[in-house]
Amino acid sequence: MAVIAAIFLPLLAAFIAGFFGRRIGDRGSQLVTCGAMVAALVLSVMLFIDVAINGHARVVPLANWVASGDFHVDWALRVDTLTAVMLIVVNGVSTMVHIYSVGYMSHDPDKPRFMSYLSLFTFMMLMLVTSDNLLQMFFGWEGVGVASYLLINFWFEKKSANDASMKAFLVNRVGDFGFALGIFSIFIIFGSVEFGTIFPAAAGKAHATFNFLGWHVSALDCACLLLFVGAMGKSAQLGLHTWLPDAMEGPTPVSALIHAATMVTAGVFMLARMSPVFEYAPTALAVVTVLGALTAFVAATIGMTQFDIKRVIAYSTMSQLGYMFFAIGVSAYQAAVFHLMTHAFFKALLFLGAGSVIHAMSGEQDMRKMGGIWRLIPFTYAVMWIGNLALAGVGIPGVFGFAGFYSKDIILEAAYGSGTAVGHFAYWLGIAAAFMTAFYSWRLLIMTFHGKPRASKEVMDHVHESPVVMTGPLTVLAIGALIAGIGGYEWFVGHEARAEFWRGAIQVLHAHDSIHAAHEGREWVGVLPLFVGLAGIALAYVCYMFVPGIPATFTKVVKPLHVLVFNKYFFDQIYDVLFVKPARLLGFGLWKAGDGAIIDGLGPDGVAKTTRGVAAGVSRLQSGYVYHYAFAMVIGVVALVGWFYFKP
Amino acid sequence: MQPVLTDLIPALPEIFLAVAALLLLMLGVFSGKNGTRLVSGLALVALVVTAVLLFRQEGYDVAFSGLFITDSFAVFSKLLILLGTGLSLIIAQNFIAREDMDRFEYPVLMVLATVGMMMMVSANDLLSLYVGLELQSLSLYVIAAFRRDSAKSTEAGLKYFVLGALSSGMLLYGISMIYGFAGTTNFITIAQVLQAGPASLGVIVGLVFVAAGLAFKISAVPFHMWTPDVYEGAPTPVSAFFAVAPKVAAICLFIRVLEGPFGSLLPQWRQVIEFCAVASMLVGSLAAIRQTNIKRLMAYSSIANIGYALVGVAAGTADGVQAVLIYMAIYLVMTVGTFAIIIGMRQKGKAVEEIADLAGLSKTSPMLALALAVFMFSMAGVPPAAGFFGKLLVFMAAWKAGLYPLSIIMALTSGISLYYYLKVCKVSWFDDVKEPLDRPAAGLSWVVTATALVVFPVALVIGTPVLNGAAAAAASLFH
Amino acid sequence: MSSQVMSTELLSQYLPILIFVGIAAVIAAAMLFGSMLVAKQKPDSEKLSAYECGFEPFNDARSKFDVRFYLVAILFIIFDLEVAFLFPWAVSLGRIGLFGFWSMMAFLGILTIGFIYEWKKGALDWE
Repeated sequence: MAVIAAIFLPLLAAFIAGFFGRRIGDRGSQLVTCGAMVAALVLSVMLFIDVAINGHARVVPLANWVASGDFHVDWALRVDTLTAVMLIVVNGVSTMVHIYSVGYMSHDPDKPRFMSYLSLFTFMMLMLVTSDNLLQMFFGWEGVGVASYLLINFWFEKKSANDASMKAFLVNRVGDFGFALGIFSIFIIFGSVEFGTIFPAAAGKAHATFNFLGWHVSALDCACLLLFVGAMGKSAQLGLHTWLPDAMEGPTPVSALIHAATMVTAGVFMLARMSPVFEYAPTALAVVTVLGALTAFVAATIGMTQFDIKRVIAYSTMSQLGYMFFAIGVSAYQAAVFHLMTHAFFKALLFLGAGSVIHAMSGEQDMRKMGGIWRLIPFTYAVMWIGNLALAGVGIPGVFGFAGFYSKDIILEAAYGSGTAVGHFAYWLGIAAAFMTAFYSWRLLIMTFHGKPRASKEVMDHVHESPVVMTGPLTVLAIGALIAGIGGYEWFVGHEARAEFWRGAIQVLHAHDSIHAAHEGREWVGVLPLFVGLAGIALAYVCYMFVPGIPATFTKVVKPLHVLVFNKYFFDQIYDVLFVKPARLLGFGLWKAGDGAIIDGLGPDGVAKTTRGVAAGVSRLQSGYVYHYAFAMVIGVVALVGWFYFKP
Repeated sequence: MQPVLTDLIPALPEIFLAVAALLLLMLGVFSGKNGTRLVSGLALVALVVTAVLLFRQEGYDVAFSGLFITDSFAVFSKLLILLGTGLSLIIAQNFIAREDMDRFEYPVLMVLATVGMMMMVSANDLLSLYVGLELQSLSLYVIAAFRRDSAKSTEAGLKYFVLGALSSGMLLYGISMIYGFAGTTNFITIAQVLQAGPASLGVIVGLVFVAAGLAFKISAVPFHMWTPDVYEGAPTPVSAFFAVAPKVAAICLFIRVLEGPFGSLLPQWRQVIEFCAVASMLVGSLAAIRQTNIKRLMAYSSIANIGYALVGVAAGTADGVQAVLIYMAIYLVMTVGTFAIIIGMRQKGKAVEEIADLAGLSKTSPMLALALAVFMFSMAGVPPAAGFFGKLLVFMAAWKAGLYPLSIIMALTSGISLYYYLKVCKVSWFDDVKEPLDRPAAGLSWVVTATALVVFPVALVIGTPVLNGAAAAAASLFH
Repeated sequence: MSSQVMSTELLSQYLPILIFVGIAAVIAAAMLFGSMLVAKQKPDSEKLSAYECGFEPFNDARSKFDVRFYLVAILFIIFDLEVAFLFPWAVSLGRIGLFGFWSMMAFLGILTIGFIYEWKKGALDWE
């Protein structure tokens, strides 16, 4: 019952706020949605205690969905430790964002619609994480896609928001196509899409092959790669990442909830959920590792060059997602989920903090037009510090660390500990990314809060601390960023406690157990990330506070490289030439030639034209002269009689 | 086999109606100028009494030395004919009073035509068939030209008469061929002769001529040319009458002749019927597109509808006959309803009949527009209106009989016909009012309401007994 | 084969009619040519004109004429046909019995009603 309530309360709230928003008013719809979210959060904390701590994992069947031949799918809620963690993350961040939005959107005329969308998104995300089969997951997957589309496009009178929402949707279609094919492959291999059937059977199918044009390819590798394509789309991995920075067109709470904490981690969740299958797909895991590492690195480089405060955080998100993926690639699923959880807190904190800054700066997002406001909004400044410390992974080994300190370190250690070539590749790229992460985080901090004010006088006069509905959630998330790492470490990735905690929700082959290897690993492997992080922070101070001329000089020296990175490696432009233009051309051709000339010309229009012509002809036969009529009758009867003579 | 008095019993409804017609004639001629309303009313009563007499008839009976037959098929057809005549008479009331047709001969002629139709569908001999047909036709010729001061009406009457005479000639020629080669005109004997051995070409040619003569009456292509001109020229209530009762009678006669004596020649006559069906559906659907006069539109619509009915006839099965009977019943109701609306089309007291005159009907009289939409959707065969089920039954019967191309053409032309039916709806619902139409008379509104309700949704409720009746009627032909 | 025999048998039944047609033709021809040969031929314009009343036999068909001619002609035909039916009926009355008798009575009754109608309508008044 608690499970159902925790998941369907947001839907109910979305329904009420969406359809009766005008009736119950702004305040009413805010109360309904926030109230439902708080209730759902309380329930999911209870569930977490019951499921993860006390070990009462369960599957709650709801209804039959599809029963067609061999294909059976039910609506069911699968609640195990993985799901319970996700419930906490989703409901926790979502509740904070709901409350924060009350303040942030206080000047917006469409509050009920916004709250309704937020709640709808939350419900879809919950469906995704509680699904008991791939089809239901796909339902949630598409549902969050729709909600994301609606929220990015919330200010639909802005053309850039329209474009961004369409881009997000279309790029995700590519990924979703892969996901769908992955589901088909899974069904072909296992004859089912129910997790309960797939997972136990995975080991037995390890050597199954698909015959593709005479090639024998490992069936599980193939299926897992296809699933990973889906995850790439949702989680903005290199290649299908172009939509994420643009998605920052949506209101900032949306960026915090969807494009940092929850939806973009759906891919990580899905791969973690499918861990029993991925474990038997070594090629797929290797690909995941390499792509994750590359994403972490590339996104970090871009993040260093951007000036839009939200875009910097967006690239940072992409980079952190890369960490999670290569953690999965080296079979450190628990570490990935751990980082997912901590990242949700500190990244939501950063986004909401950035939102608070933007709110204070009257909507300004360009860091070049900020600066010198840390005294004016000290609370926001403080939480941004906490968020950045968590992101950069600062801590004192053995004593205390911010959230990222624990989760990022264990990922890097596991990558190194896995002992494979791709694992080492990921480790070194990850170290580089960690350095850059710290650098751009403090670059952001310094450019935004320190130095001389670069904004206009009117804007500076208006700078003010946010109201308590906004600072409240920030406080909660800041506490999360402070303690999530140290609090969750033992449960998630601890030496002994983790088996007790996960209880088979994630399955790792003994030979692949990289987290175990991480704990046994060498000292420097774990300390290096901290050092590069501190180095990055120091460098940022040097470049942006003490010797402000360095960045300009440096970019001049490596101009081509800077142009490449500043323009995000020209991904958008390349895609435009490779896919968008040809697709438009093809579409235009099919529209004009295929649809207009051939289908319409020979089809509806042609038939209509012919019909009209024939109708005119037939009408002309009706001359009005009685002898014509009589003649027709005689001809008719002669023809009918004649038919019998000429009949074979 | 000496005829005796008991022969009168099977023919009692016809005899009653014939006597009633004569008495009404006398009543009318002696009651002077104001007799029309009285005669009309009494004619309606006579029709109702005849229907009651028909209901009392049961089973199969042959009278007058095998000239006259009565069975379930005849009873079903006659009830439809009486219904058609009765409704046509009701909707004509107001019109004949206004349009200089206020003469008592009008109802009398309608009753006489009805007697002829009833004779037709009860004919069991080529000669009694001919007599019935001529009684009907002669009455109709006169009715078509009833407004003798109107050039259009007389033209319509004359055209109908001349072409009708030609078709009668063909029919008689065919009858004589059949008589010459089969040696008899009696249906039962013809059937026996044809079953005994292969049919000679003479019989087949005779059959084609008979079919041509009958095809004229149902206005099947290529014997349809009179229809649009006569519908347009004749006074509107007359067109309404033409569109229903004689059509039902002639198609029932068609069925009786083809399925009865010539049932064993199915492969031969099927191709004739198929040709007529295809040609009627195509011409009816295509030519209607260009029409601007709603009466001409209805004429082509009736041609197309006859084409659909002929598809059922071509099936040559009990299913097909049942489907045709149902189809004609539905056709009758929706056609009467549509014509009731057309009769009611008046602007400042003057009758109009252009489709464009319906513009904005939904604003001036929404219920009338709604009823018109119901009729049009039903004619087009859009579910859940009754017309859809009629078409569906015919289609299924033809499909089961293996007439796949015919069924497909039926579906396609049905799609084409959607265009002009919906055009009428479009004009009445979406075009702006130019000149509002007057309120129709009470009797018309009554008929429009009743028929519209029957078309949808009452047909869905009373469908089963009608279906059973039609099934019994069809079975009586194939016993 | 049998149908051929049957049809020849059927056709042979029409032999008297063929003979009748032949005799009629011979008589008609004899009368026509007989009068030409025997009678005196003294034509004048009055004699050569078609009828005292009525129309030119060879003329435009679309000329106006009084519709009452037409009416009278139709009424004549009806009663002419009545007589044509009465003849065979009277001859065979003994064989067709009471039913035949009443059939003709019904026929005559219907004609009478028609006659009353046309009288009442004034179709018989020339003026």
